[in-house]
Amino acid sequence: MAAVASDKADEQTQWEFSCDLEVDYESEESASIVYAALAVDKELQPDKVKRQMSVSNGKLSVHFEAVEARFLRASYSAFVDVLTLATKTIEEFGKGMEL
Amino acid sequence: MKKQIALGFEGSANKIGVGVVTLDGTILSNPRHTYITPPGQGFLPRETAQHHLQYVLPLIKSALESAKITPHEIDCLCYTKGPGMGAPLQVAAIVVRVLSQLWKKPIVAVNHCVAHIEMGRIVTGADDPVVLYVSGGNTQVIAYSEGRYRIFGETIDIAVGNCLDRFARVLELSNDPAPGYNIEQLAKKGEQFIDLPYAVKGMDVSFSGILSYIEATAVEKLKNNECTPADLCYSLQENVFAMLVEITERAMAHCDKRDVLIVGGVGCNERLQEMMKTMCAERGGRLFATDDRYCIDNGAMIAYTGLLAFAHGTTTPLEESTFTQRFRTDEVEAIWRVDKN
Repeated sequence: MAAVASDKADEQTQWEFSCDLEVDYESEESASIVYAALAVDKELQPDKVKRQMSVSNGKLSVHFEAVEARFLRASYSAFVDVLTLATKTIEEFGKGMEL
Repeated sequence: MKKQIALGFEGSANKIGVGVVTLDGTILSNPRHTYITPPGQGFLPRETAQHHLQYVLPLIKSALESAKITPHEIDCLCYTKGPGMGAPLQVAAIVVRVLSQLWKKPIVAVNHCVAHIEMGRIVTGADDPVVLYVSGGNTQVIAYSEGRYRIFGETIDIAVGNCLDRFARVLELSNDPAPGYNIEQLAKKGEQFIDLPYAVKGMDVSFSGILSYIEATAVEKLKNNECTPADLCYSLQENVFAMLVEITERAMAHCDKRDVLIVGGVGCNERLQEMMKTMCAERGGRLFATDDRYCIDNGAMIAYTGLLAFAHGTTTPLEESTFTQRFRTDEVEAIWRVDKN
């Protein structure tokens, strides 16, 4: 989740570019685990990219906003990489893992 | 009482490693994988993180299997908080956060530099040495004093390993298994010593000027057949290692310690070990060093150091399990050493 920018900065900046991502884990537990793992890392440039996440009905929803398309792309792309990692970790080491 | 067991993750540079250790320092498993770039090229954060993403999960499986343990037997999950490259550090942090929730195990964040020191101490049995920590990203002379590992001298620009790695790129030496290893092998064939700048500044050292100088000299002298690549490798090693021995000796005199422990990737270099050993012998002390299994970044060193902290009551809440590119050795309170000394 992006650090909340001050109201002043919000007014001045144009958050023109946005996109949404939704992953259906069909499990409130899995979605919450991924949420908690990914919420720790804040966006590195909160004045350029904002990220909001939420969990409901076993789905993880992510909303990105950015001042330029390239920041949106970079942030989204990096996020998808770690989201995939967190998801794979659950798949391989969650319930029913075989060792 | 059951032996405490930790699972540790290291991914701050171009190696990703997962290790299983017990509190007495027994290493049950310690697999790792190195991202090796083509000759002439270094490793960049993005590509390195991609490498780690690809290898981390199979490494966990292999670490658990060869240690013959199940997740139930693990007491804590340790990861490198920093210092290191951001994107590669994040890989280990994310995996640990997920596993911590899946397996209901506490997290322990570990300082990479302190982990090198603790691994070196337990493997060699060095009790209270002056530590020379030399790698691709760090160059520090460290000694324990009053609850922390204090930095007595360090590089003021690039790390000694970075200097060697980048010179290896000039010569287009292989990065497999490591550029520094190939410089060391080539240096053995050197016959002519070429004068290079010697940059010790008080307790500190500087390598960037030496690198610039030898980069320019190499091209020129090699073109005119005035020396061989082996001569250059030999001269660079002798020069920078002499600098490191000098500042280590000064720190020993300063804190009145007799023994030296070399840790970090460059610590595998046998020529550096030989030079340091000579100096230690002259002062009536001993040199402690390890081979590539422990010198080079690995998961066990993170697991062991995290377990030391854990056994003394330290854990890192999930919300605080961040990573950071800058994390100095002396920021950590070495609580596990306080009650002993």
